[in-house]
Amino acid sequence: MNAETGIGASALRKEDARFITGKGQYTDDINVFGQTFCVFVRSPHARAKIKSIDTASAMAVAGVIRVFTGDELTADGIGDLPCGWVVTSKDGNPMVAPAHPPIATEFVNYVGEPYAFVVAETLQAARDGAEAVSADFEVLEAVVDTGTATSSAQIHENVANNQAYDWELGDKDATDAAFAQADHVTSLDIVNNRLIPNAIEPRAALGSYDAASQTYTLYTTSQNPHVERVVLALFVQVAPEANLRVISPDVGGGFGSKIFVYAEETAVIWASAKIGRPIKWRADRSESFLSDAHGRDHVTKAELALSSSGEMLGLRVKTIANMGAYLSTFSSSVPTYLYGTLMAGQYKTPAIYVETQAVFTNTAPVDAYRGAGRPEATYVVERLVETAARELGMDPVELRRINFIPTDAFPYQTPVALQYDTGNYAASMAKALELADSDGYMARKAASEAAGKLRGRGYSCYIEACGLAPSQLVLQLGAGVGLFESAEVRVDVSGSVTVMTGSHSHGQGHETTFAQLVSDRLGIPFDSVNVIHGDTGRSDYGLGTYGSRSIAVGGSAIDKALDKIIAKGKKIAAHMFETTDDQVDFADGQFSYAGSNEPKPFAEIAGAAYIPAVYPLDELEPGLSEKAFYDPSNFTYPAGSYVCEVEIDPTTGETDIAKFVAVDDFGNVINPMIVEGQVHGGIAQGIGQALLEHGIYDSSGNLATGSYMDYAMPRADDLPDFQVDMTSTPCTHNPLGVKGCGEAGAIGSPAAVMNAITDALGVKDVSMPATPQTVWQTIQQGT
Amino acid sequence: MEEHGEFLIPASRNEVWRALQDPLVLKQCIDGCEQMTVINADEFECAVTVKIGPVKARFNGTISILEAVQPESYTLKVAAEGGAAGFGQGQAHVQLHETNEGTRLTYAVEGSIGGKLAQIGSRLIQSFSRKMARSFFESFSKQWVA
Amino acid sequence: MKINITVNGAEQAVDVADNALLSDVLRDALGLTGTHIGCDTSQCGACTVHLDGRSVKSCTILAGQADGGEVTTIEGIANGEELHPMQVAFRANHALQCGFCTPGMIMSAIDLVASSDEPLNAEQVREGLEGNICRCTGYHNIVKAVLDAQANM
Repeated sequence: MNAETGIGASALRKEDARFITGKGQYTDDINVFGQTFCVFVRSPHARAKIKSIDTASAMAVAGVIRVFTGDELTADGIGDLPCGWVVTSKDGNPMVAPAHPPIATEFVNYVGEPYAFVVAETLQAARDGAEAVSADFEVLEAVVDTGTATSSAQIHENVANNQAYDWELGDKDATDAAFAQADHVTSLDIVNNRLIPNAIEPRAALGSYDAASQTYTLYTTSQNPHVERVVLALFVQVAPEANLRVISPDVGGGFGSKIFVYAEETAVIWASAKIGRPIKWRADRSESFLSDAHGRDHVTKAELALSSSGEMLGLRVKTIANMGAYLSTFSSSVPTYLYGTLMAGQYKTPAIYVETQAVFTNTAPVDAYRGAGRPEATYVVERLVETAARELGMDPVELRRINFIPTDAFPYQTPVALQYDTGNYAASMAKALELADSDGYMARKAASEAAGKLRGRGYSCYIEACGLAPSQLVLQLGAGVGLFESAEVRVDVSGSVTVMTGSHSHGQGHETTFAQLVSDRLGIPFDSVNVIHGDTGRSDYGLGTYGSRSIAVGGSAIDKALDKIIAKGKKIAAHMFETTDDQVDFADGQFSYAGSNEPKPFAEIAGAAYIPAVYPLDELEPGLSEKAFYDPSNFTYPAGSYVCEVEIDPTTGETDIAKFVAVDDFGNVINPMIVEGQVHGGIAQGIGQALLEHGIYDSSGNLATGSYMDYAMPRADDLPDFQVDMTSTPCTHNPLGVKGCGEAGAIGSPAAVMNAITDALGVKDVSMPATPQTVWQTIQQGT
Repeated sequence: MEEHGEFLIPASRNEVWRALQDPLVLKQCIDGCEQMTVINADEFECAVTVKIGPVKARFNGTISILEAVQPESYTLKVAAEGGAAGFGQGQAHVQLHETNEGTRLTYAVEGSIGGKLAQIGSRLIQSFSRKMARSFFESFSKQWVA
Repeated sequence: MKINITVNGAEQAVDVADNALLSDVLRDALGLTGTHIGCDTSQCGACTVHLDGRSVKSCTILAGQADGGEVTTIEGIANGEELHPMQVAFRANHALQCGFCTPGMIMSAIDLVASSDEPLNAEQVREGLEGNICRCTGYHNIVKAVLDAQANM
């Protein structure tokens, strides 16, 4: 292995070369000949009937080419934006999904929902045109509040009580019995605050239609271009799949929000054929706030039953999840299969029962945001555990330790469907305590107190199910797509390699990590490996990047393709050695045979593959290029222990994160530098949720936090240095032993921060975000 | 948003009452009012340019007089559309009390906004509406001071 | 109107609309797409460039205001093939992930270091970069990179 670029090395990133010099190619950086510009006209009302739309004065604006309304899309056979996962309610009925036309036709159901769009020669003309569009609305009563949505005005004609589904998981009777026997019950009412993802690159799309070949090309900011293509082709029916190419070039962050198929790219690609010219759109940040799918927004009642010695006996959770106005692409799975299934946490709680009621409101659709369901589950479990320890007068670390699933219990079947393959929770906890200088805590607390500050400490031991996902399992549970991944390894004549992956990098560094994997296994230089992603015209159908799946599923697919490359290389080498392929070994980039003292380097075999002189072509095809599709047999289960210490100034209510320690078990790690970077970013978003971020709608459904002046993004001076380390129990069911690291930080950190704050203040609960105002008020109330 | 206040006006209740119905007076007293057209005795149309934080826009609105109890009280209902900037609606309940020094005018204003204004300017709305209401009644009462 | 600006050392005469922003001119008229647009309220800092040697958010400057000025963008800070120490440090410290905020972050960081008489500490770097939002890195490695670069600047 190469110490600088092999598996396990912190290789510097290949992609950085273009990003640090301003040469990245993001969607908005791409310009094509004859391109026009598009601006969407968005509803100023949270809920209204569209009586009429006047486009005439917009058409009169100089430079305006066309003004489109939703009726024109409908008339052209353009379908609804679908939700790709059908969740089944307790009563056996499938969820109820309202119609979701890309461009609103009869009703608008959230502020920012597009009801028309203007295409013009220049962006300025498109903006002027959009301002000139006017609609006559009959304003209706808006439903905004998650907790009371089911008893509010009915939003959609076909959705009674504004309820999409009422789902359950686990054994209700066994759980009730556990509560009946319990010595102690800890209950919490928990609100998981609505977040707005805010990738710094706003969503964008550039659609064009080539009449000569009748093909469509869509550049867009997608985490999964193949999914975008299949949804636009099969469901929305913009174009036949073969005639549609979707390219996600460099994408500036996603965090979930760029998984989904949105109205804007649908409109742009459709309309490009109508006007016969390319159309470009880029969201203003204000539009991103209004129209990107939001995250979280749960209202939960949670109860934990314990014995007097702290043994966890049962867990009961009832959650209302706000879906927003429509069911976005994967929204239904988030508060169910990505949430309820995680309620065992790292613990052997024998009886668990979870109910989730998904409700509609007149707010932007809510879907997966970094962690998607798992941060919410971890927050419930870890807030409960910490609170229970305080109520029982136990050390929260000790309470966790006695309930951890022991290392000899794996594979461990939880009461909520999942089977954990491996883990060592006590090891992560021990390392975290050591890193956090647990022994020095009392001295630090005393020092804080001497300085007039309140110090608190909180823990969070998360688990997540990621590496989405075993296709047949998720299909059984209602998913509309398989969740395997594709890979193609093309060996060039010279022995360099081009890898096509169905995974997509929007910051994760796949061009580097995957190159490390390939270079390490083939024994070729790191610089000889080129990774291509994000283009349906170049790589096989793949599912993209979300749910920390790229290395576990995408990486495993590459690994499988590499197996095939090596196997074929052995066959070629066998002919050169005049032996059989089972006699050929491959290691360190060389094919060798015991009967020869001249091993063949990989590049020589590559050359021989394409200059097929040495092997019979009726037995072996020429060339060296292999594909693989990898479908995992289980989820992967990263887990870790986080410790947070806060110092609060009681005079201002300001919380300072004095210490943040994260010890994660991601199994094997290809590039520790990149993995640590992912953890940093996840923690920052988790601390953002705990201290700063909150998507707020006012009572009439206006987004009150619609800009960076009102939505508090974590900035450099809001965050501490992080202490990050790892333990490792390799995943048992994928070839690389990897688990995935993208979401961990966001999953584990909110509970750690809030456990620390409630410890510092000596209160049971503080709602997120714990802004200085909230904390100060809590101190004043003394509750 | 809600806002209330009072002014003492050195004039009789009838004089004040008449002025409150006079579109010309209203026009002079509304900051940024460019036009005021009478539709009927109880309804006017107006065009007002306002700047709230980063949003500057021309609003077209209707002002209606409701629940008039001459010369004691009325409710002024305003609904305004600012195109891309958003929209606003509100009402001001105005009461006139006779005192020895003149007429004491009290007002209570409530309103709501939507669209771009609500998204970008919501933090500023409270102070803006306070300023707008105060400036209206200040200008209104000044007529008698000069 | 016509403006004359020197961009990355080259003099440019550009016809611009009265309301054109410097960021628009850089991206659209001059094709310098390394300067990114991340918000519409001058909060995110992705569009940061140097105007007459100081960092500015190019979305808050009218192109007309830059008339006669010298602008440096992310494309203009390397010396030929030799990267600026801040670029080197960002890569060496993994101070970027998606790369979208990176050009603005680097331009701000260069000005922050250059305009400080004393070596900066981590806290000062955090305060100094408060006008640039990064959603990927949690800033940990950005702070490391800036501290690292200042030794070589």
